[in-house]
This record gives sequence, C-alpha cells and structure tokens, in this order.
Amino acid sequence: MERRRFINFFFGGSFLATLAAFLYPVIRYVLPPKQAEAVQKKVAAAKMGDLAPNTAKIFKFGSVPAILVNTQEGQLLAFSAVCTHLTCTVNYEAATGTLFCPCHNGRFDMAGNVISGPPPRPIETYIVEVVGEDIFVSKKA
Amino acid sequence: MTKKIFSIAVFSALSLLPLAAFAQKNSCLDCHSGLEAELKAPAMSFAQDIHQQFGLTCKDCHGGNPAQASEDKAKDKTFKGAPKRTQIPEFCASCHSDAAYMRTFNPRLRVDQFSQYETSKHGQLLKKGDAKVAVCTDCHGVHGIQTAKFPKSATFPWNIPQTCGRCHADADYMKPYGISTDQLTKYKDSVHAHALFEKKDMSAPTCNSCHGNHGAFPPEVKSIGSVCRQCHPSTGELFAKSPHKKAFDDMGQSECEACHGNHKIERPTTAMLGTTDKAVCVQCHDKGSKGYQAAGELKTLLDGFDARIQKEGATLVLAEKKGVEVSEPAYRLQEVNTVLVSAKNLVHGLALDEIRKKLAEGEQTLADVGKASAAALDEAKFRRKGLIIATFFLALFGLALFLKIRSMRKPA
Repeated sequence: MERRRFINFFFGGSFLATLAAFLYPVIRYVLPPKQAEAVQKKVAAAKMGDLAPNTAKIFKFGSVPAILVNTQEGQLLAFSAVCTHLTCTVNYEAATGTLFCPCHNGRFDMAGNVISGPPPRPIETYIVEVVGEDIFVSKKA
Repeated sequence: MTKKIFSIAVFSALSLLPLAAFAQKNSCLDCHSGLEAELKAPAMSFAQDIHQQFGLTCKDCHGGNPAQASEDKAKDKTFKGAPKRTQIPEFCASCHSDAAYMRTFNPRLRVDQFSQYETSKHGQLLKKGDAKVAVCTDCHGVHGIQTAKFPKSATFPWNIPQTCGRCHADADYMKPYGISTDQLTKYKDSVHAHALFEKKDMSAPTCNSCHGNHGAFPPEVKSIGSVCRQCHPSTGELFAKSPHKKAFDDMGQSECEACHGNHKIERPTTAMLGTTDKAVCVQCHDKGSKGYQAAGELKTLLDGFDARIQKEGATLVLAEKKGVEVSEPAYRLQEVNTVLVSAKNLVHGLALDEIRKKLAEGEQTLADVGKASAAALDEAKFRRKGLIIATFFLALFGLALFLKIRSMRKPA
C-alpha cells in the first residue's frame, strides 16, 4: 500500500510540475512582449503636428535609426538614418535642407543622393503614409 | 487598318534614319572590309563607335569622298588619311575643342580636353617630340570609341586602372621615364580599389580622380591634401587646424600621404596609431617625446572604447541567436558607433580633449547597452534553464505514468 501511495503521490506531483512547465511558457507567449518585433517593415514614426516645417525626427526602425523629415515646403520624407559611408547616424540640417553625417561631413539631398563627402551610395529612402493623425513609414518592396 | 500600317511604316522609317547615313554608299567601308588586319579593323569596329551613333562617318574625320567607288576619286583633295601619332590630339581637338560644333551633339560635353591635355605630363612630353606618351586613342580607342558611361569602355571607372596600367605597369615601356611601375599593383590592394571592384562602388576613386584625366599630372606635395579633400572634407578641415599642419609644411610633407600613403591606401584602423612598429606616429615622434605619449594615449582611448562596443555587439548577437529580442539595445549601440567613428575622425585634429569629450558623449548609452545586453543574455540563460526543467519534469511524468500503469496491472 505504501508503495502505491508513493506512486500516486509521485504521479500527481510530476503531473502538476509538468503542467506548470508547459503553462509558464504559454503564459509568457500569450502576454505581449516588452518590445516590438526586430524585423519591421512598417512603423508609426510620428503624429501629424509633431514635426514643424523644416525639422526632422529620428526614430527606431527595427534595430536601426531612420529619419522622418518635414521639409520647408511641408512635404514628409523618410530615409534610413544610417550613413552609407561608415554607418554613422545622419541628421537633418535645416539651414541647407539636407541630411548631414557628423562623422565625415557626408551630405545627402532630399532624394537620398550623395551631394558631397565620402558616402559611396545614396541613402535608402522610405515610403511615408499618413493615416488619420498617424504618420507611417515603410520600406520599399 | 491601312492608316495603322502606314503609321507603323513611317515610324519604322524614322527610327532607322540615324542608320541611314551609315547605310549610304561608303566606299571606305566597302574597301576596308575586304582588307586584312589593321586595315580591316576600322571597318569592323566603327559600327559600335559613338561617332557613328551620332551620324558621323569616315569622311568627317578623314576627309575624302566615300560616295565615289574608285579609290582615286574617293581620296580627293579633302582626304586627310590617318593622322600621325603626334598629331592625334590636335586631330581630335579640331572637333572636340569647337564648342559650337560639339553643342549640336551634346550641350553638356566639355570642350577643354585639348587645352587640359597640353598641360598634362603626356602633353608636355608630346610637345617635346616624345611619341610614346599617351594620346587620345590610347585611352579612348580608335574606331570603336565608346562614351565613358559605357561599362565596356576603357574609360569607364572599372576599366581605368587597367587602361592606365597598360603603360604605367609595363616596366620596359616606362624604363626611359625612370618612374616606378607598381602603382597598379598597389592600387589593387587599396581600400579604394576594394570599393570599386568588390563593392562595385562607382564613386570610388580611380587614377583620374586624383591625377586628372586629360590634364593628368602627379599632384604636388602641397596639393595632395586638396585632392583628398574632394571626398574627405572634414578630415582636411581637422588637419588644417591641427599642430601637424605647420610641422608637415615645414618638413615638406604632404598632408595625407605621409601617414596614409598614395596608391596603396589601406582601410585606416587604430593600428596606425600608438607606439608600436606599425604605428605611423613613431615615424616622427621619438620615444619619450610628448607626441609619442599622446600617440599611445590616443590609441588606448579609442581601442578601449571600441573593444567595449565590440563586446556589447557580440553579446547582443549571441542573445539574438538564442532568440531574445534585442532591437532596442542594438539601435542604441548604433548611436555609440556614431560617437566612435566621429572620435576616430577627430584624430586628424589631434585635440585629445575633444576626443575624450566626444567619447564621453557615448559613455552613458554604452553603459545602458551593456546592462541591456547582459539582461538579454540572462534571459536566454533563463529560457534554457526553463527548457531543461520542463524536459526533466516531462521525463519524470513519463516515468510516473509508466509506474502507475504497471501498478494498476498488478493484483491488489
């Protein structure tokens, strides 16, 4: 009898432990993660009105920086903020209306083309889409 | 239907108009096609020539009357024939220096090639009667001339090193000039050639980017800095403000070449800094001097910061491979990388305080990334432990189930 009780106890205990071991990751999976997925093709970059004309905002696109520019004419443009020279983060220079890399003074126009400095290639341009008050930025297919 | 057929016929006829000139009676081509070797070559390659594409024919360069069937009549008093090698630049310039004429083909085309050529080393030597130096046809070809935008053209960026190297890498050909012939070999090992040939980066400098093309000339010591600044302006600005500027000028050293070399410019790393044998600093700074100490300090500062970035980056990659989401710290590490690259560029200004200040800008972010990467790795370890425990319990449950079934089969 003692042996049977032990087996029952052993059976019940291990069943509960197994159930817990299965349920825990399920709960962790169901609960929303702290951060967004790493591979992103579209992000909400800003809200309408966040950016005054001739200003820009750097935002996180996946794990790399991107930049949303509201030009002096009020046109919304988005680019990768990673310089094609040595991967520094570029800024928007309001005085010249260009993207400027502080590391080696590389400069890009508002079509992403290299104007001056050492960058070898144009900077990647993104698609901007305004839905209601939200400004979405997505990668080109 | 008739109208449609008529429209197609008219359109086809218009499309073929440029070829019509070429298709006209051309006794030059008729005769030369039947000749051999170099006399046949012009007839074979002219069909691909850029001049032919603009409707020019043999007579536009060589004169004569190709409408005449007999050789005597075709070679009339306007016939110029092939120019002597020494006459080629002026021969080409008769059209290419004529702005009004060239405008009819391409308004953006430059017309200063000949005047530039006259200032080049090639042009100067040609004037002295040296017929071995490069003339137009050596780089552009003769009857199969292509625009520099055509990838198979000898003047297309990918092909320029080889075009120049045909003469400049030929030790026998260059012997009379007493200059080295290792430029092409060295260039092929450079960071610029790597960008051009491997990354297919059309903006990477080739021979003519630094030496000029029609006005090709070795840059003087004092102008080398200006040449490099065409692509590296911030580096030049920093150097001009540094104590090195005056020292280099006094020694007659060029700004960039003294440390980076010329044709074999390698990817700059911090190995160039410091006090080891590989460091360029020790070429001038003796042991114990202020510059020697500063060189060592520079290297320690930059390498230390770089090593921490590498460490955090590797940790993040490891955590990501283990399935942990690390996009936020990876994004922030990009900011720190920008700080490091900027600080490395500041080396050209030699202001240690500026470099320290720049690196300090990234300290907090780097520390945050360090915490996040450690947490990501902990999370990966926790998940692995969880998996082991779950597997253990599962095995235990299986064993318990087995024992339970066996005990149920036994009589009480």
